[in-house]
Amino acid sequence: MITDRKIAYVNLSDRSVRIESIPVEVRRKFLGGRGINMHVLSQHYTRELDPFSPDNPLIFGAGLLSGTLGFGARMSISAKSPESGHIGDTNIGGDFAAEVVKAGFSHLVIFGKSSELVYLFVHDGRIEIRDARSLKGIDTVETQRQIRSDLGEPKAQVACIGLAGENLVRFSPVRTGVKSAAGRTGMGAVMGSKNLKAVAARGTLDIEIADPDRYLTYYLKTLHKLMSAKWAQALSKDGTPLLFRACNALGFLSVRNNQLTTVGEAGKSLHAEALHRHSSGMLSCYACPIHCRHRYDIKEGTYAGTKGEGPEYGSIGSLGPKLGILDLDGIICLCELANHYGLDTMSMGSYLAWVMELYQRGIITRDTTGLTLEWGNVDAIIELIHQIAHRKGFGDIVAEGRFAHRVFGDASLDYLLEIKDFPIEMTDERLPKSFALGMATASRGACHMRSRASIDVLGLPEEILKKVYGGPVSNRLASYDGKGRMVWYHEVINAASDALGICRFQSVFSSPNGLGYRVYSRLLELAAGLKMTPSEVRAVGERICSMERMLLVRDGMSREDDRLPGRYFEPILEGPAKGHVIHQGEFDRMLDEYYRLHGWNKNGVPKPATLRRLGLDA
Amino acid sequence: MRISVEKNRCSGCHLCEMVCSLYHLGRINPEKSAVRVAKDDLGSRVHTPSVCRQCKKMACLSGEEVNERAEKKNFVWGGDRAERCPFKALPVFEGHAYHCDLCGGKPRCVEVCTPGALTVSK
Repeated sequence: MITDRKIAYVNLSDRSVRIESIPVEVRRKFLGGRGINMHVLSQHYTRELDPFSPDNPLIFGAGLLSGTLGFGARMSISAKSPESGHIGDTNIGGDFAAEVVKAGFSHLVIFGKSSELVYLFVHDGRIEIRDARSLKGIDTVETQRQIRSDLGEPKAQVACIGLAGENLVRFSPVRTGVKSAAGRTGMGAVMGSKNLKAVAARGTLDIEIADPDRYLTYYLKTLHKLMSAKWAQALSKDGTPLLFRACNALGFLSVRNNQLTTVGEAGKSLHAEALHRHSSGMLSCYACPIHCRHRYDIKEGTYAGTKGEGPEYGSIGSLGPKLGILDLDGIICLCELANHYGLDTMSMGSYLAWVMELYQRGIITRDTTGLTLEWGNVDAIIELIHQIAHRKGFGDIVAEGRFAHRVFGDASLDYLLEIKDFPIEMTDERLPKSFALGMATASRGACHMRSRASIDVLGLPEEILKKVYGGPVSNRLASYDGKGRMVWYHEVINAASDALGICRFQSVFSSPNGLGYRVYSRLLELAAGLKMTPSEVRAVGERICSMERMLLVRDGMSREDDRLPGRYFEPILEGPAKGHVIHQGEFDRMLDEYYRLHGWNKNGVPKPATLRRLGLDA
Repeated sequence: MRISVEKNRCSGCHLCEMVCSLYHLGRINPEKSAVRVAKDDLGSRVHTPSVCRQCKKMACLSGEEVNERAEKKNFVWGGDRAERCPFKALPVFEGHAYHCDLCGGKPRCVEVCTPGALTVSK
């Protein structure tokens, strides 16, 4: 049964491997994926733990339903983050998680540091540590090719780092396929610090199913219902770039480091339709019926010959308007470069926007940068990306992410829009208050993937919202009313989805018709033989949220760290969201509601009764 | 009746392989499936599903004294038959070939192929 998939502890210092079963009571409490990752991380996480220390556990965790007909097959990768210094946790699609599961494993916990560059090979119940010295400096796509060739396994799936990860660039992701990335919080740099170039997996083991006939029948019914939703159909055609139009039209886009929040009519160049001229089809992650990523090929112009997958709306925003760039082909080129080097498109966009605003304001000059970092200067950014990956010139400073303030001076942090020492992304949350709260409370620091209630943009009737969220929620995007509940709900269900390996886009994210706890409960019973009620599955999500909160408490964080950047308290100067601003009092009201629903006290610390209910240690 | 393939539509999700093994064997193992997606995920990214073409003249059975109609209904075949398939459309794993029996008339792979790469042809 899928719950029998093992956890392996690998120590790269002494090359030892220990393989253990995961007790069923641990499965019932944490399921898998992010749940078990946090359970393991919490046993090692201290305020003092250096993210680049061999003692920092790097945890690869496949969702419990990854490898089944699970509506995606995702994996969480966690450790202490070298990018923020706090919780490191990131999630990746593609085919890698399923291959790990087919090879008999669910979780890999990697400690230590190898004396030479190595990679792991996980296959049908076994784990080998293999020489990777010949892969030094090789890009993320070629690394995967060479490992397949080295192993004689063309079907091996590989998660790896590129030059940036080897060079400990603090915002380097773990990459698989052409563009999938466990992007934020710098898990690629943690791999680099361990001299671990890649993890390769190849599995041919059966995945036993508890009740095959009823499972298949239930799956087909659920699949057809999901695919009849407008959201799923739109995503199948346009991918995530479809989100750009609303973001720009309503005025919650990050433009020039959030100095503006729309690019107006000029944004047409980045609408989803603009990508179709390069697209020759749509591609999926493993077990995904939606297929939301473009296969693209730029055939003419400055960037002719660029081929790849995507790009996602998050990357378009982060390496586009945020940097003053509206040339889609140029943005695609930047994404491709980032993917090959193993640089996170989103965090990197945030740090680039920061240094470009410092340049605009004269806080740093060409003497420091050696480059003309004017908004929209694609060529200068291409050069800077090369420098970052190679850690040369000004790029060596930017490679430090937020820690570059040590060079620029502390006052420079006024222009880095960050939460919990982690930068905000491609949007500006002054208009959509649920988005603002979600960014402020996200356990890994500013992040839309922890809770973004994209549903809020739809303005659905409040009766429907009440049914989804279990209490009153305003359907006005700019309203604070009920948004604490909205964020709490999405944080919890997203945590449960990450424990199961289910993709955001198939769950309740942008559509109330997405999969919810009832479906999760049914899939667990029919596929994994794990009988858990919908509320027990929800409790797993709550448990993960409270457990992550306790890690932040260990870092000395509390309510005052659930705050927004200073710029959010200044009104938007122009565009459709002109005048929108965050009011601290109203924000506090949302935060109180959110804490109450989580069972946390006024300081944002889980109450003893909550910890007892969830079976967590204080 | 047979399954037609339009490879440019294939998204590479592997759901066809998964439901094929699940329907026939009660477990999920893409290696034990009669439909197989050859993925060029690091190259052209054009993925190529292949599946038995239900040939009228079954080269796969040539030289064997068997009832073709009965064999068409079987899912697990001997691996040697795959070598005789001129289209290399019979996947082999651990000595067995996996043959498309059309799920008795309602191919499950087609039901899960949301991009429409697999369709039923009469």
